[in-house]
Amino acid sequence: MVFLIQQTLAYAVPLMIVALAGVFAERSGIINLALEGIMIFGAFVGVQFVKIMQEKEAFTVEQGQILLLVTLLACAVAGALFSLLLSFSAIKLKADQTLGGTALNMLAPALVLFLINVVAKQNILRIPGSSAKWFMIKKSTLGIPGDKDIGFFGEIFLNKVYISTYICIIAFIVLSIILYKTKFGLRLRACGENPQAADSLGINVYKMRYTGTTISGALAGVGGFVYALGAAGCSASGEVAGFGFLALAVMIFGNWNPGNIAVSALLFGLFKCIAASYSSIDINGDGVYLLANIGISSHVYRLLPYLITIIVLAFTSKKSRAPKAEGIPYDKGAR
Amino acid sequence: MKKVLAVLIALSMILCLGLAACKGGNEPTNPAAPDGTNATEEKETEFDYNAVKDDPVSADGKYEIAFVTDVGSLKDQSFNQGTWEGIKRYASENNKTYKYYQPANGDKATDDDRFNAMKAAADAGAKIVVCAGFLQETALKKAALEFTDVKFVFIDGYTLYTKYDETTKSGVAGTEIKNVAPISFQEEQSGYLAGFAAVKEGYTKLGFTGGGGGENPACCRFGYGFVQGANDAAKELNIKVDMNYSWLYGATFSASPDLQAMLNGWYTNGTQAIFCCGGNMCQSAFDAAGANDGKVIGVDVDQSSQSDTVITSATKGLREAVIFALDKFYTDKFDELGGVSTVLGAANDAVGLPTANWGLTKFSLDDYNKLFASIKDGSVKVSNDYAKLAEDSFANVNLTIVK
Repeated sequence: MVFLIQQTLAYAVPLMIVALAGVFAERSGIINLALEGIMIFGAFVGVQFVKIMQEKEAFTVEQGQILLLVTLLACAVAGALFSLLLSFSAIKLKADQTLGGTALNMLAPALVLFLINVVAKQNILRIPGSSAKWFMIKKSTLGIPGDKDIGFFGEIFLNKVYISTYICIIAFIVLSIILYKTKFGLRLRACGENPQAADSLGINVYKMRYTGTTISGALAGVGGFVYALGAAGCSASGEVAGFGFLALAVMIFGNWNPGNIAVSALLFGLFKCIAASYSSIDINGDGVYLLANIGISSHVYRLLPYLITIIVLAFTSKKSRAPKAEGIPYDKGAR
Repeated sequence: MKKVLAVLIALSMILCLGLAACKGGNEPTNPAAPDGTNATEEKETEFDYNAVKDDPVSADGKYEIAFVTDVGSLKDQSFNQGTWEGIKRYASENNKTYKYYQPANGDKATDDDRFNAMKAAADAGAKIVVCAGFLQETALKKAALEFTDVKFVFIDGYTLYTKYDETTKSGVAGTEIKNVAPISFQEEQSGYLAGFAAVKEGYTKLGFTGGGGGENPACCRFGYGFVQGANDAAKELNIKVDMNYSWLYGATFSASPDLQAMLNGWYTNGTQAIFCCGGNMCQSAFDAAGANDGKVIGVDVDQSSQSDTVITSATKGLREAVIFALDKFYTDKFDELGGVSTVLGAANDAVGLPTANWGLTKFSLDDYNKLFASIKDGSVKVSNDYAKLAEDSFANVNLTIVK
């Protein structure tokens, strides 16, 4: 059970944070299809940053958590900068946002693979140290003996976790509150619904859209590194297994609403986890692997995440509503 | 606004270039093998592969020895890298020019992509092309027939024919393609040694995860041998060993979150050591092992330097085989290998566990040497008929095939 919850979180957290990245951009009126590309770029910058820091021995293993925090910051900056390409083309040049995003999605893997080849002369960028040793919080990290029972919640939240998981969850909550409970959030959302009205009240729509997309880029950059850290052993290879697109799906699935997004990300993560490890999930701790023993073909388990998505979308899509003005370049003259 | 943006975009570009330049600057600090400068290394006989450049430029633009990969990256820390290091070593010691070619489209490379890589090698003046991986077959056959002056070495390969018998599906004798030298290994012996050692060392819950989706003969032989070795050791100790056995999530030999989730699940449920058999996949295994304090058994080359979770590695002598073939070629004895299947195993000291830095305690180096000798003299026989894995019943191994 502990394993199931932890593994679900490992899938769900990057999805959640990147889906929220999508929300920030779209709520401000910019369709951010480039989430995948920004993730790829963020993951690369993060891994390269860790690599340089470890090679230069700027941090010791004991300072791994500090290095992780700094790296997350670097990824946020990298993602934000990369997303400026999208916002510049979409806001300043009034280019088609779908095309701009797609272009970035094609640019990112190519650029990253090129850079990896330049710095490492191979297709995959690895860090010199072990990511589990440097970044993972285990019982031993906290000074608790490895065989001591720290209870169900202790096992889930204090053993074999990355601090980035909590940072993402906190960031998710804080940013959701900002989006819905502050003046800034209201203005941002107004720009995605009716930019003309917002402008008439003295809100700078361009500035708001730049802000929304930049926050979006920062979050997606962080999400990219969180993916690389938790799922790829802190290595970058010019891909993030389609998590950027999955996050887009989760965003639509969650109806552009953070609460719903969290639920859908967890749901999707749960089924992804079942699909990958159904044969070793012991739900009630009695040593019986129920899912493997009930005779359902493994292909069914692997279909589940996608099947569930289609079914839920089929039932909820009627109610789903995207921000009204998203995808339309803001034109001051139009009334 | 415009200026701010221009500055920001410029900054982002500088960041990219800066990162690249940072690393680029470090590169030349590895001078090409100056004699005696690495005296700090205790093993003076150890050849420093990293000191030999991966992409030297030849004066006349021609490269005599070429290397073509099938899938995976050059520096996959196992199969491709081992083969490549053999080439680098032979070339640097004998002053030959060499170059590597990776087919376009990475892990999704088609036969055409591989053929184009071989053609590029031949066009660049290659006299001998080393092709690693059994996936090369179709492309290699086409290239060998087109570039008849060029010799090819087919690592993990088998004899290629121009004519095949329709009914028996085997090659017609006399139609062997003579400029292809196939070299394969008895991986089952190496896997056997690893499985035996792991169980003797005290690991009773093992795992096997292989690349190529169960279609790659070399990986299949490793896996089959591993099960046999574990079974024989368990029989000697009179215990039962549990083993998870899977080909899932490794079809392209790359690390993936799904593979890692599966292996995390295995370790969580008590698996102690996992034999990870397939190039870059090892990244997922190292990570899962690191998180769960589990152990990994490496493959192809000694992987203990890549992660401290590696207890031993089931190796095969890729470097030695390449050097052997190149040496035959440059001493005008290539005909001995061309069109003839060369199988290297314990008898040639071409498979086994790395004996330098022996890390196992309960299964000592002496025990290993004894076992190795008995495989070598044939008193212990390891079957390579991996198709039988599913039907075989292993008395001392509870085999769970995860599909």
